[in-house]
Amino acid sequence: MAALPRRIIKETQRLMQEPVPGISAVPSETNARYFHVIVTGPEDSPFEGGLFKLELFLPEDYPMSAPKVRFITKIYHPNIDRLGRICLDILKDKWSPALQIRTVLLSIQALLSAPNPDDPLANDVAELWKVNESEAIRNAKEWTRRYAMDN
Amino acid sequence: MAETSEAQASASASAPGGDAGGEDDKRDERMLECNICLDTARDAVVSMCGHLFCWPCLHQWLETRPSRKVCPVCKAAISRDKVIPLYGRGNTKQEDPRNKQVPPRPAGQRTEPENNSGFPGFGFGEGFHMSFGIGAFPFGVFTSTFNFGDSRPSAAPHGTAQYEEEQFLSKIFLWVAILFVLWLIFA
Repeated sequence: MAALPRRIIKETQRLMQEPVPGISAVPSETNARYFHVIVTGPEDSPFEGGLFKLELFLPEDYPMSAPKVRFITKIYHPNIDRLGRICLDILKDKWSPALQIRTVLLSIQALLSAPNPDDPLANDVAELWKVNESEAIRNAKEWTRRYAMDN
Repeated sequence: MAETSEAQASASASAPGGDAGGEDDKRDERMLECNICLDTARDAVVSMCGHLFCWPCLHQWLETRPSRKVCPVCKAAISRDKVIPLYGRGNTKQEDPRNKQVPPRPAGQRTEPENNSGFPGFGFGEGFHMSFGIGAFPFGVFTSTFNFGDSRPSAAPHGTAQYEEEQFLSKIFLWVAILFVLWLIFA
């Protein structure tokens, strides 16, 4: 494997030196391109109080292509499917090399605050979110309590 | 926004393991970082929207998304013709061998400042010069030159060692040239 690009080294250093509140990203000991991420559920969202584990992988051509990010903790969210895959434009066609691990994770945290059922990935969740939002939010809170707390 | 970057800059300055240098140096360094590789911009270019990149980094990005050429920072339209190279005082010829395949960054555009004052010259405009030469270098004897406003260095003053040397050299070339012509005629 080629040497680690300086950009990845710099980003990792800065993540350690200036951590983002509510987000932790620690590189794996065996693979510096693989990060163990924990995002806290934003306040005033159904995910408040939860700790959500994610995995983040920087592909070979990073930063020319987006990092691969996936939720490991189960989450009830219209833009996140059963496998933890995330529907977020900046991870797909809106990626830009000026974005960083830090900004990607902040966007994911923002997605938790503002679910977008009109661009769904988990169809059943999105459907319920549209027709009966209060029940959907109840489900999200229940899942947060069940899967994202005390673990 | 400004607050965040300031906080980041001071946090990094106080962090251990950095180069020697004050807080201001660190901040200056970060100001001049390429928005793609996060390193000090090399072969720097700036977009019309004001964002700084290494030309190799930006070129790679433009190649990655040929159909949607936008500034990585602000998504304004961007292209090869819409960036301006930055020339600092340092050596700008430093070339990373990895980027040999990258075309050279676009050149800067210069427009002459308008010059309304002073003697207009002989109707040729200032800085006009024309020369035609016959024969091969270094037989400059045969070249005729018309120069107006030429800015070549003037000859060394009389009496100095350099003057003597130049005179000597010019005599040698003159004789070489004469011999060459004779050879051409008689051989």
